[in-house]
Amino acid sequence: MKNSQRRRTKRRIIILVAFSIVWLGALVLRLVQLQVINAKQYRSRVLDQTQNIIDVNPKRGTIFDRNGTILARSMPSPSVYFRSSQGETISSQLDKIKKIAAICGLSEWELRNIQSQIEKKSPYIYINRRKIDPDKADLIMDLKLNGIFLENENKRFYPQGKLASHLIGKVDVDDSGQSGVELRYNSVLLGYKGKRLIHKDAKRRDYQHEIIEQPIPGKDLILTIDETIQYIAEKELAKAVTTRSADWGIVIVSHPGTGEILALANYPDFDLNHPPSKTEEWSKIKAIHDVFDPGSTFKIITASAALESGRVSFSDVFDCSKDLKRGGKTFRDHEEFETLAFPDVIIHSSNIGTIQIGEQVGEQNLYDMIRTYGYGKKTGVDLPAEAPGLLNPIKDWGPISVASISIGYEISVTAIQMLQAINVIANRGIATRPMIVKNIVLNREKNQKQPSEYRRVITEDIASQLIDVFQQVTEVGTGTAAHIEGYSTAGKTGTAQKFDHDIGTYSSSKHTALFVGFAPVEAPLFSMVVVIDNPQGQYYGGQVAAPVFREIGRQIFRYLRIPPQPVRPKTFITAENRRTQEQ
Amino acid sequence: MITKKINKKNLAMSIFVGFFIIFFLTFYIWHQAESVSIGYKTKDLEEKIERLRGDIEQLETDKASLLSLDKVEQIAKQELRMVVPSEKQLIFEKSDEDLRQQN
Repeated sequence: MKNSQRRRTKRRIIILVAFSIVWLGALVLRLVQLQVINAKQYRSRVLDQTQNIIDVNPKRGTIFDRNGTILARSMPSPSVYFRSSQGETISSQLDKIKKIAAICGLSEWELRNIQSQIEKKSPYIYINRRKIDPDKADLIMDLKLNGIFLENENKRFYPQGKLASHLIGKVDVDDSGQSGVELRYNSVLLGYKGKRLIHKDAKRRDYQHEIIEQPIPGKDLILTIDETIQYIAEKELAKAVTTRSADWGIVIVSHPGTGEILALANYPDFDLNHPPSKTEEWSKIKAIHDVFDPGSTFKIITASAALESGRVSFSDVFDCSKDLKRGGKTFRDHEEFETLAFPDVIIHSSNIGTIQIGEQVGEQNLYDMIRTYGYGKKTGVDLPAEAPGLLNPIKDWGPISVASISIGYEISVTAIQMLQAINVIANRGIATRPMIVKNIVLNREKNQKQPSEYRRVITEDIASQLIDVFQQVTEVGTGTAAHIEGYSTAGKTGTAQKFDHDIGTYSSSKHTALFVGFAPVEAPLFSMVVVIDNPQGQYYGGQVAAPVFREIGRQIFRYLRIPPQPVRPKTFITAENRRTQEQ
Repeated sequence: MITKKINKKNLAMSIFVGFFIIFFLTFYIWHQAESVSIGYKTKDLEEKIERLRGDIEQLETDKASLLSLDKVEQIAKQELRMVVPSEKQLIFEKSDEDLRQQN
């Protein structure tokens, strides 16, 4: 009995041990399967269930004007997103979305879009109105709905609204530059993304956020633009374009000595906080992109070439009494002249006289001077999509090319190229590269940008002679409407017929009114280009564009607190010389 | 039963060591807890500084928006009935710098 009991016990122990070994073996095999064979798959599932790594967008740099006024800044603006819990039904998920739909202002189409994303089991759904008002975000979070989260993002805000809209440019929903300075300096403004680790509980709800890689904010930009001068330029340009029923207009104001652009206005403009839907209305900076015939403003180049080549002198006279026929085309003046000396040809903007000057200069000298002034190539202004203009090589010039180009036809230029040309005169023969960004700043430490480039185009003597001529233009010539009382001004008017692509020739009813000038003559504080496209009624540059120069210039002097100089009589009035005068 | 007589000196030493260990562990735990607590406070303060920086930037931007020249001109003309002075109504005052140079 005792032996049989012992055997039974032994058998039971063996069975138990065998069972334990089998059970342990199965357990080990299962562990091998989980930990070795399917390890990668389970690890990724666990990580997916417990944590998530997402990009953290850096704060985009701020854009200031030259005096520190904010032109563009990124402000916190949360995005709402939805992440479903494990096992949550589609109808339950949709109910949550519907609860916040009214606050977010979701349309039927947007709701349907979210529904389709839920049905596709997207793990991370942005509620379509990305970047909402912070107050609305608070309202949404007050509802305490599981799966609805906020992501801290930034939204570009332009406190000056329409000011310098084309120049500053816009960004897209991801804060990436699309036009203007925002596009040109996108890499500088953008910064570098960081990474955030999100810890999740068993129901995939976020319970802890941890920054594992700090985002590096973008650098700030200080522009050369002056908010007040920009405002004055835009206001006067808008007034001129609307009163003249013109198609569009451009004004650029710069400091000639440094090439710094103080204002760059395009009209029509737009509000940067509510940009228009049509791309062409916000994407182009007309001042650097659109080309047109410069008309008589190009006589600056012809006059420079004439004096620089030595083919024409100040005392030379030209018969301007008869129309000129060249290659079957008749060139006329805007009024009748007799014989004009070289300076008077420019002062009164005689086409006939200028063509004769151009022909004396010769095509090679004329072409070389045009290239030296920088036409036919980009000025290098730090803005995107600059056009080089259109200048045919000499081999493509026709029989009337010298005549046409001398008076600003058969050549297409941008407004910024015209500005660079007038700056050569204002700087006594030295060209400067136009620039728009003064400094790049990180953590309040300024990185000085490369200084402007300087190169001599014409000699100082010739430039000084031309300054006298262009001063006369605004005192007794075609540009008297540009003269600012109490200040010395110099400039050149221009009126160009527009090329009509439908009829394949220049239109007699469509014009571009132009003026380029600077002031004060002795030590120029500003230079300016005014372009008014297709004005109705009066269309001459001296009638349409020159007054815009005067009004902007007058206000700039007032803003800079520079008083007018009183006009003094050239001789003292004494009793004796009064008596002489009376006799 | 054999009992070993405990040396009073050793007993005092053991009690002292025991107390010292307890004190050290208590201090260590307190120090750790305090470090964590200060860490949380620092993090809170850093977040507060960030929020305040954000508030300052928001206020600066609001100020820039309110002082934008078109709004100022609109208020001056429409609400305050101000007009732009003509050239003859303007008097340019000499700045201190100008006066110094004149003297």
